[in-house]
Amino acid sequence: MLRRLPYRVQIPFGLSIAVFITALLVTAVSARLSASSARLETLATLDRALILLVSQARPLLAADDTWRTFALLRDTAALIPGASTGHARLAVVDADGKVFAASDPVQLDTGRPMLGHTWRGQSLMNTQDIQERQRLDQSDGAVILLEPIRSEDGQTLGHVFLEVEAPVFAADWLALFKTAMIGVALAVALLVPVGWWVGKRMTQPVARLIKVIERIGREPSTSLRAEVPKTTDPELSRIGDAVLQLMGELEKREKAEARALSAERLAAVGRMTAAVAHEINNPLMGLLTATQTLRLHGNAENVRQRTLDLLDRGLQQIRTTVAALLPQVRIEDRPLEPGDLEDVVTLVQATASLQSAHIATRIEVESALRVPSAPLRQVMLNLLLNAIKAAGQDGQIEAVLQADGNRVQFCVCNSGLPLTLDKFRETLAAESGRDPRGFGLWVCQELASHYRGGFELDANTLNGTRLVFWLPNQELQEKEV
Amino acid sequence: MNRRDCVQTLVSGAITTMVKPASAASERLRIGLTPVILADQVAFLSRWGRYLSARTGCEVSFLARESYQVILDLLFSGQIDAAWICGYPLVRYETDLSLLAVPLYQGQPVYQAYLIRSRGLSMPINGWNDLRDKVLAYSDPLSNSGWLVAQAQLAKAGLSQRDLKRTFFAHGHRNVAESVAARLAQAGSIDGYVWETMRQQGMTAVAQTEVVWKSEPHGFPPLVTKRGAAHPFQNALLKSLLSMADDKAGQDLLRALNLTGFTEGNAGLFESIRRQAQGVPGSGVVA
Repeated sequence: MLRRLPYRVQIPFGLSIAVFITALLVTAVSARLSASSARLETLATLDRALILLVSQARPLLAADDTWRTFALLRDTAALIPGASTGHARLAVVDADGKVFAASDPVQLDTGRPMLGHTWRGQSLMNTQDIQERQRLDQSDGAVILLEPIRSEDGQTLGHVFLEVEAPVFAADWLALFKTAMIGVALAVALLVPVGWWVGKRMTQPVARLIKVIERIGREPSTSLRAEVPKTTDPELSRIGDAVLQLMGELEKREKAEARALSAERLAAVGRMTAAVAHEINNPLMGLLTATQTLRLHGNAENVRQRTLDLLDRGLQQIRTTVAALLPQVRIEDRPLEPGDLEDVVTLVQATASLQSAHIATRIEVESALRVPSAPLRQVMLNLLLNAIKAAGQDGQIEAVLQADGNRVQFCVCNSGLPLTLDKFRETLAAESGRDPRGFGLWVCQELASHYRGGFELDANTLNGTRLVFWLPNQELQEKEV
Repeated sequence: MNRRDCVQTLVSGAITTMVKPASAASERLRIGLTPVILADQVAFLSRWGRYLSARTGCEVSFLARESYQVILDLLFSGQIDAAWICGYPLVRYETDLSLLAVPLYQGQPVYQAYLIRSRGLSMPINGWNDLRDKVLAYSDPLSNSGWLVAQAQLAKAGLSQRDLKRTFFAHGHRNVAESVAARLAQAGSIDGYVWETMRQQGMTAVAQTEVVWKSEPHGFPPLVTKRGAAHPFQNALLKSLLSMADDKAGQDLLRALNLTGFTEGNAGLFESIRRQAQGVPGSGVVA
């Protein structure tokens, strides 16, 4: 609760609580000391009262003057603690041990036998046994004092009787508490505004630091540096230095990030260039083979026509690939056809022949194909080239195009060394960063992501490697692209 | 001394004579007071003194003492010129004293003695017969109501001093009332006029006491002078006292005293006291 309050409230409040607790402790200690010293002080007062009474009562007792003795006792009782509340009483006892006069005649009635008799459970000595002052301490803390009154020639004229009950010696807790509370109230009245001012002054640099910290990252560090408060307080000074250091580190990091971003942009441009070159280079090999075929067997009409169609579709693919790199350009593409797989296989056949790899194809199309042809041809080409490379010399490759109402899937299996899932992910990550030549798989993944499809490694394949690429079998809305 | 100094001396002397009160130039008249009245009010006595001074032509002052005997001693030694004492000392020392004036209480020159008791006693006192083993407070050994009456009534009840637990003199009727109120004594013999005046003034001591017996009327405590030593302004004082009820200032003073006036009185007023004293051994009054 207290910790949630601001310092300018915490400090005066804390000071007030401290003062209050201190006052209570001081009161408790004072009361303890007062209780012990009050008894001594009261006994000292009684001692002085006894001396006064003995000297003043002597002539009155000798003159048998009860009234003036009563007046003396009544006036002296006003000086005795507790007499006004009925907890103390005085009496002059005559030589026979009877009350001559008392400050409270209701309790100590005139003529009452006292000495040699029992008074409030306390047996009092006989007159002849009291030769000097007697102090009778009661079990409850009360005190009875007896002092003989003697004439100048030593004759005992009577005695002074003085009784003070236990409550008189008790500490006045209420009065002490009231005094303490007055002190606390005065201290609080003084310390609250002072504490408020001190707290405000102490927290001012902290508040300024907080404002500076809140603006770090949003405003230039050069202007914020000037606002960091300069203080002689060692703790605040350390905080200020730490803030300045933090701002310096942030500046360094911002610069490093700017440099990294620039480098990343350059790298992206490089990757883009490499990807374009790669995607164009792949069909170019097939096209070159087609031109060679056209050159050798162009006289045959069917071969020439088929080769020209092949060249046309290959060039359209290149055009589409280049256009796909320009997002702002609107692309007109035809839907995929089952024959596209044969075209792609024809394009890669030359490469497969170089390492005597065998490519088998299978088409399982159960529904109309509504996916664009260019990205699928790109994927087919990339995956087949990758599979040829992975299958190695005399390797076996199987390409399967499947389609149903929901999706279109193209799978390529090769008989090469199996590709693990970690290696597959590592290859994708590496291809996206450092190896422009391996952009085939990376581009497949990017296209799958772009067309809301998938590109994954089939971990259930026991022999070789099987890569699966699929797209939703639906026309992609332009705005979604 | 030059002429200027001589003129200044004459002028200053003339001025001093003019501003000095007429009474100051004449003889002083001192009146002793005993506790027969509540005479411890200095402001009242000063006011009364100024009143009498203005009417007698001499400076009148009052001197109050607790003891009747002290006042009588002062009167007999010539240190005071008149005294307000009780009827009992007048009877006892009638050869040495002359009656000056008698106050009128409720229009009569008589008063009563009271026996009072403390309120709320476990064993109530209803009369003199109940004082056996009780503490009784007197006023003064020369007081009629504060001692002589009590002696006569105790004797009449068949009680002696030894039959009482204790007796003491309280040096004044007011103190008797306070003694009984504080239960220093269970009963007290007191001047009825003083007790009634205390009650009229609302003194707390009276509220804690109650009257259980009243005496027959006795001559009111009179003002007396020493026989054969008449003060030159004695008659003027008498006239002033007798005429107090005739003017507003005098009436105010009498009201404060709870009196209605003064009269010349006569020795016959105190015959009841004389007869009573004659029956009390040691009273100093013989048949």
